[in-house]
Amino acid sequence: MSNALIALAVPGLLLFSALFILLFGFSAYYSKNRGYYITLITLFITFCISVNGVGDIHSAELLPQLFNAMVIYDTFSATFISLFLLGGFLSLAIAKSFIDQTNFFTHESFVLFLFSLFGMVVLTMANELLTAFIALEIASMAVYVLVGLNKESLRASEAFFKYLLLGSFSASFYLLGMMLIYAQAKSTHLNVIAAYIFNHDLNSQLLIIAGGMLIIITIMFKIAALPFGAWVLDVYEGASLPITAYMATVFKIAVFAFTIRVFLKNNDLIQLVFDPLVVIGAIITMIGGSLLAVIQNSVKKMLAASSVVHSGYLLIALASIEDADSSASSAIIFYLFAYFISAIGAFGVLSYISKGTDKHISFDDLNGLGKNTPIIAVSLTIFMLSLAGFPSTIGFIGKFYIFTSAIESGYTMLALLGAITAFISIYYYFKVIVHLYFKESAYVKVEYGYRVSLGFIIISAFIVLWGGVGTSLIFNIPGINELNELSKHAIRSLAF
Amino acid sequence: MNILSIIIFLPIITAVLLFFVRIPIRLIKIVYMMVTSMIALLTLKLYISFEHHASIQFEEMHRWISEYGINYHIGVDGVSLGIVVMNAILMPLVAIALYKQRDKRGYWINLLFVQGGIMGVALSLDLMLFYLFWEIMLLPIFLMIGLFGYGNKNFITMKFNIYTIFGSLMMLISILYIAVQYKLQFGVYTFDLDKLQNLVLDSTQSILVFSGFMIAFAIKIPIFPFHTWLIDTYRSAPTGAVVVMSALMAKLGAYAIWRVLFTLLDKTSHELASYFITIGLFGLIYFGISAMNQTHLKNLFALSSASHLSLIVVGFFIYDVYGLIGSSYLIVAHAISSAALFMMAAMLYERTKTYDISSLGGIAAVAPRFSIFFTLFALSIVGVPMTAGFVAEVLIVLGAFHYNIYIGFMTATTLLIAMLFMFKMISQVLYGKASKATENFEDLRMHELMALIPLALLVLAMGIFPNYFIQKIEPTALSYTVEKEVSYHE
Repeated sequence: MSNALIALAVPGLLLFSALFILLFGFSAYYSKNRGYYITLITLFITFCISVNGVGDIHSAELLPQLFNAMVIYDTFSATFISLFLLGGFLSLAIAKSFIDQTNFFTHESFVLFLFSLFGMVVLTMANELLTAFIALEIASMAVYVLVGLNKESLRASEAFFKYLLLGSFSASFYLLGMMLIYAQAKSTHLNVIAAYIFNHDLNSQLLIIAGGMLIIITIMFKIAALPFGAWVLDVYEGASLPITAYMATVFKIAVFAFTIRVFLKNNDLIQLVFDPLVVIGAIITMIGGSLLAVIQNSVKKMLAASSVVHSGYLLIALASIEDADSSASSAIIFYLFAYFISAIGAFGVLSYISKGTDKHISFDDLNGLGKNTPIIAVSLTIFMLSLAGFPSTIGFIGKFYIFTSAIESGYTMLALLGAITAFISIYYYFKVIVHLYFKESAYVKVEYGYRVSLGFIIISAFIVLWGGVGTSLIFNIPGINELNELSKHAIRSLAF
Repeated sequence: MNILSIIIFLPIITAVLLFFVRIPIRLIKIVYMMVTSMIALLTLKLYISFEHHASIQFEEMHRWISEYGINYHIGVDGVSLGIVVMNAILMPLVAIALYKQRDKRGYWINLLFVQGGIMGVALSLDLMLFYLFWEIMLLPIFLMIGLFGYGNKNFITMKFNIYTIFGSLMMLISILYIAVQYKLQFGVYTFDLDKLQNLVLDSTQSILVFSGFMIAFAIKIPIFPFHTWLIDTYRSAPTGAVVVMSALMAKLGAYAIWRVLFTLLDKTSHELASYFITIGLFGLIYFGISAMNQTHLKNLFALSSASHLSLIVVGFFIYDVYGLIGSSYLIVAHAISSAALFMMAAMLYERTKTYDISSLGGIAAVAPRFSIFFTLFALSIVGVPMTAGFVAEVLIVLGAFHYNIYIGFMTATTLLIAMLFMFKMISQVLYGKASKATENFEDLRMHELMALIPLALLVLAMGIFPNYFIQKIEPTALSYTVEKEVSYHE
């Protein structure tokens, strides 16, 4: 399959399925199960298609006549598209039990889900600020509504309103920044802007610098980095669990995809001007996120707060990007994968044991799970270990890459801070393990059912472990090396 | 597959399999015994075929994460051989001694897991692999204390865990830092200990890297002032975990000083040696004196353990061939006797339901076999001639006198202090009037004897024929002192 065809087929199929469900959602033939499976199958097929674009290094503008060179399809976008199609697939597959047991996942929710993925697919392929903005907003709008899906829950409505308001507000920063950059560089095309920055004296580029700063604010908002991530706790808490998982992992990956592209294209400027900003952002995010996570009583809120900390680690790597060859950028991709697989698993377990109810899962609700449902408890333990960066899990390898790249770029203190944050995170992640196994509770046999959800949780747990120790020497299954190679290819295609 | 890989992975894989298989506890114990005995046999074979004249042997190397030059590189030398053998011998014996007491699957599965982890740490020659196993062996201990511990176990296991991981993370940053420095100097990443030796660091860098490593090791051993987790944890932990921690994991901290710091940061270790000798000597006396005032049997053993571990650290840092041999000998000797003492403490508790020294007494009259073994192991800890402890301590003291006469005197006090707290304890526990708790004290049962006799024989053998054991360690010790021309006190 030619690359252009892949690039057209993936968003096309997503849109087609979305419209299909939208059209037939009210017909008598529609049932929640059918909508669910159509979405799942669409995601699986698009994933299988987009994986073909991964591996070899390629980069070409997509239909330059039609799209005016605004969209580019390269290994980088192919990798990211596969990544969050897989993420969407996994979060939906694990959410099977949750979706069945609740009544607010109507056909619109699947449509919105597909629309948001469509937006993200375009976002990773966007080579121009305006296209990126539109794609980002398509994705965000869909996610705003997904957050407020449960109309009967006050908290969900509050979260929806808060997120919508703050999100739109932050998007306006992006618009303003784009305008300022356009005023000076006379283009919104990333290549043209990069050429402009390269050819002109830095002191004469005040508008671009100011614009870039505003865009970084929006990015920081979207990835929930402090001080712009104040929304994260309420919104993650209010949204239903599968949506929280989706936001915390897949949506974040998409934003990072665009960020890496922008950062690598305008590397010199960013290193000179914005690195201190990112560094400060990383420091505040890691410390603030840790403080937030330590004090939480609800497991979901703890995971939400800790996702802020993980954004902080990613910001370390973002600050450490020196050039396309530096290991930092591929470290980000690896870490994104590591975080997404562990977090989707963790949120998935929560949604699995919540049985579709809206109630807080506090740490005490986990008591005795180790005795009553050992498989779930072990999976959750593995995810927690991975999130905490414990060796032999993929989370450790991700942290290892990020810290190494930070030290390589001379940010040893930042790596040390990262290690200290990881140390704090041991407390709140191991708290989960303590509650799972050590707290006394009555033996209650709970039947959760839904073997599909459980199966995908177990598969995720295996991926987490294999990503931590795996090597293709055993069983010839792709391991750490191959994953690493993939992210390298993705980054190289940017400079292709 | 190399014999070392089997030693590392057989227990781990068995542990994982046992977790997923629902079989009765009786079968789990049988599988445990089979696996640990097999490891013991393999280790015995390893010990016999270990050459006298070479340092690192049985090497095995596979590529793991090629971009960062991380390899699966393992091998054994004279010092790690001691730990490996101890690990292999103790694990089945623990099971024999406790086989009636513990009827939970998790207990045995975790013990198997920790055995593999400890083997991994002792045998790794690649820093990332070392780090991996270093962390992995923590997890089963964390679980064991939390699941089967006593008292305020959740808090204590969390404290122990957080304490240890803090050290590990500092070590991680140090590891990454030297790897990056290596890349800057040689153009490629490597985590291999052999290659990293070529690295040149300036003095600030090396002191920082050194402290990163040292925090991790000091917490694990523990040396003063990182010992605050020690008493709680030992007191709360179930016997299997205590035996593993005091006899093996703490020794790994001391071993890591040798394996990592003396290999990579030889010069810095020399420069800073006097500080660590001071800290070690202080700890030796401080822990010893604290031990004298304990009324809780496990606390006393914990502190006595800490005191001797400080002695091991002193022995390493005096950088004398006697000191090095003595310390690695003491690693083994102390592992045997402290493991035996902790097991006997558990037997004591099972019979009397108390660890309180003042409410014990008069055991010698009712249980002579118990008393003989108890005294023998206590004497070996003190370092009475004919026991393993004596050889080790004499060697260290000898090395210390070579180093400096005052340090030598200070080190020699260890014999005195250990004698004070051990003899005091023995007189209170074994002699005197029988109390209510000890009136019907049952003497050692068959399976307990089976567990203790091999250890007792080893203590005596190591005390009477030290040459056979020392000749395995000597080439390694010499390679650290002679080749590197570090004996600066001729």
